[in-house]
Amino acid sequence: MKRSWWYSFSFLLVVIMASVAMIIPTAFKFNEDTKYPIKSKINLGLDLQGGLYLILGIDFKKVYRDEVTNYLRKIEFSLKSEGVATKLGEFDLNEPLDPKQFLIVESPADVVKVKEYVRKNYSNFIRLTNESGNQVQFALLTTLKTQIEEQSVSKSIEVIRNRIDEFGVNEPDITSQGSDRIVVQLPGVRDVDRAKELIGKTARLEFKIVNDATAPQALEAWVEEAKKAGIELKKGEKYSEFLFKLNDFLKTKLPEGTEIAFQKTLSKLNNELEKMEPYLVDKNTKLTGDDLQDAYVQIDQQKNEPYVGLNFKSNGAKMFEDLTANNIGKRMAVILDGNVYTAPNIQTKIAGGRAQITLGFGNFDIMMKQARDIALVLRAGALPVQLDFLEQRVVGPSLGLDSIRKAGIASMIACAAIFIFALVYYRVAGGIAVLTLLINVMITIACLIALGATLTLPGIAGIALTVGMAVDANIIIYERIREEKQLGLGNYAAVDTGFAAAFWSILDANITTALAGICLLNFGTGPIRGFAVTLLIGIVATVYCSFFVSKLFFDFYMTKVEGQELSI
Amino acid sequence: MQILKKTPNIDFVSLFKYFGPLSGIVTVLAVFFAFTTMKFGVDFRGGLEIQLKFKAPIETSQVRNVLSEGKFSDVMVQTIGEPSDATYLLKLGKTDGDLNKTAQSITDFFNQKFTNAGVEVQKIDIVGPKAGKELQLSAFLAMLWTILSIIIYVALRFDMRFAPGAAVSLLHDALVVIFFYSVTGTQFTLQTVGAILAVIGYSVNDTVVVYDRIRETELKYPNNTLKQNINLAINETMSRTLLTTSTVLVVCLSMLFFGGESIHDFFLAMFVGCLTGAYSTIYIAAPFTIFMEKILPKKVNKTVVA
Repeated sequence: MKRSWWYSFSFLLVVIMASVAMIIPTAFKFNEDTKYPIKSKINLGLDLQGGLYLILGIDFKKVYRDEVTNYLRKIEFSLKSEGVATKLGEFDLNEPLDPKQFLIVESPADVVKVKEYVRKNYSNFIRLTNESGNQVQFALLTTLKTQIEEQSVSKSIEVIRNRIDEFGVNEPDITSQGSDRIVVQLPGVRDVDRAKELIGKTARLEFKIVNDATAPQALEAWVEEAKKAGIELKKGEKYSEFLFKLNDFLKTKLPEGTEIAFQKTLSKLNNELEKMEPYLVDKNTKLTGDDLQDAYVQIDQQKNEPYVGLNFKSNGAKMFEDLTANNIGKRMAVILDGNVYTAPNIQTKIAGGRAQITLGFGNFDIMMKQARDIALVLRAGALPVQLDFLEQRVVGPSLGLDSIRKAGIASMIACAAIFIFALVYYRVAGGIAVLTLLINVMITIACLIALGATLTLPGIAGIALTVGMAVDANIIIYERIREEKQLGLGNYAAVDTGFAAAFWSILDANITTALAGICLLNFGTGPIRGFAVTLLIGIVATVYCSFFVSKLFFDFYMTKVEGQELSI
Repeated sequence: MQILKKTPNIDFVSLFKYFGPLSGIVTVLAVFFAFTTMKFGVDFRGGLEIQLKFKAPIETSQVRNVLSEGKFSDVMVQTIGEPSDATYLLKLGKTDGDLNKTAQSITDFFNQKFTNAGVEVQKIDIVGPKAGKELQLSAFLAMLWTILSIIIYVALRFDMRFAPGAAVSLLHDALVVIFFYSVTGTQFTLQTVGAILAVIGYSVNDTVVVYDRIRETELKYPNNTLKQNINLAINETMSRTLLTTSTVLVVCLSMLFFGGESIHDFFLAMFVGCLTGAYSTIYIAAPFTIFMEKILPKKVNKTVVA
């Protein structure tokens, strides 16, 4: 054997040993704490091991609307201290992704002052879009919107990650898709509803003082009036949209600076909405989730009841102290995403930044779960934006197992058929092809493990397709060798010509297939990507095996034949 | 052992006059069906799909009864696999309303009706209308880019006579799969897109192998007409084409019969695509190069040896 043969052979041995080493933990189902140096096992996709696949979308229309209002509120507040009275006006939503809102200046003489003030202090955030009489209209700067867009996705992923981590999922996969999508994959999650509930809970926490001066009956009457005008919470409508419309409709009736929020009660039976109790609360958010340091579940030893304990940051503690001191006797609503969770009475000034949310009465376990959820939602940080569920896929655990088993059996039958064909049709050369194919599949699986790629059901199909293409490569080479021999070439010349002539046609064929694979990788989602990954890895392995490994074995076989007929 | 004792000598190119119109009709019909009768799955249409597996065999009508009992109108029922599998797909095409809640109440209702783990929820897919639209677009883009990149590669590696034929033949194969799906009423899902792209990959593989041989034959017999060379190349590679196609078909068949429901549709598309892939190479891609040679300016390098 030539020296170069031994080089190639040693390289092949290294590749084989590395592949075997990679596959061992998967094949023998090693635990995490094994002494074996390689820990990584094959990642099974959601379709194979069951789990939850979610696509969440961010409603940037609402995000921008809120942002404009926030800035105008700040401006309104600071102008007041300079003796300029203003108030918020109408939205112009002709371009939903560029909402504009009016600021109404009480005395037209002050308009110049307002414009000057905004130009001086807020020119990095908002821009003047329109002006008529005593009304000035503002919208967000494009640069700010870009910033918000970038931040919203990354911050949301961070927050979801925190929540999922607290939920204890083994290998969650949370990624962004495009500019307004988040894909959450939770393999092996059994309690799907809980997980969804947890992610779905957008904890925009606000503490607002309840305006009890208005009688509850009057409040009910207003809501009823809105209902008659067609403003009610329809099925499938976003709650936030409904609230916005309702408050917009009632803005002339509600006392200055207040808005309506609801306490929702869900029926125990089917989680359908049972009751909505309206609350009139101060519009301005005094204290938000950002001021919160920590939230935790504790159990009141005397009453044996769980409650949620809150710790505020130093800044928040001061604000909380002021808020409670100024509103003793009133109620303070704890509002999550416009839902009043609870509205405890402020009995005394609370200093020191510690507070409690009690849950009322009920079954201990249910209360415990409730308290844990609230605390979790508060502690993991408020989501910066509201997320909508756009796509959900749940795969039960048994479907995956069943799929693996069936696809495995089918692959084995297919392989057996191919092997028998190769051995019968090409005899010794067919044996070489079978050996090469086995090495090919082994390298492909080892690469999947090493790259941390995920094996999905279409991925198994991808491996099967690889085997098909690898067989094609062998057939092209062998048919060519046969042809050359028919033309009267000797063994060596026929084999060399066969491999050389087939080289470009196989390479071209595999490169074009790889191009299709790359396009799949870029545009496909979920399981389809799994197919693309296995296909691409398989193509590389096929090209290596068909030319180098198979040639290596052939060279070895040629030395054994020594002038006799080739068995091909 | 040899599948063909002798290299055949068939005038494949001339058969184009029969197969060309046939393929033309099928592709036109495919485009027509794609916009009319094609059953798009939840991935593209948006909506709700729940897959239920019952412990004991159950009639479709019973499932329907349970649904109407729970006042879930508009939900369609479809069997999956063999009746003995007792697996059903519940489909709701609507996209308005809270699908999440609907899915919850349907599964709850079935769990209530079939106690003692008599029913198992195997899969729930909910796709909002917006997500469905986007999937359609990205699937279309994936196909477009695949075809474009393959045209560019073939044009670079071979020449402009060959590239359009490859593109037309793989477009043909994608459309034949679509035709097959609409005629058999198979649901068009995200997996189908994957399968069509795999078919495109396989088909171009096949086309390139034969193209390569045509190029080689041209170098060997520069005085032959292109038609003669194409026929020679196809005939000489015929045994390879038969062998490869049949092995891939065997893989597909094995997957179809033993691979279970979840990869069934994928390999159904592959099976059809594999057949049409071999067909289109011989009857579409190769003859198309003759057409391209006619409309492209002649090369002058064919010098007549005196």
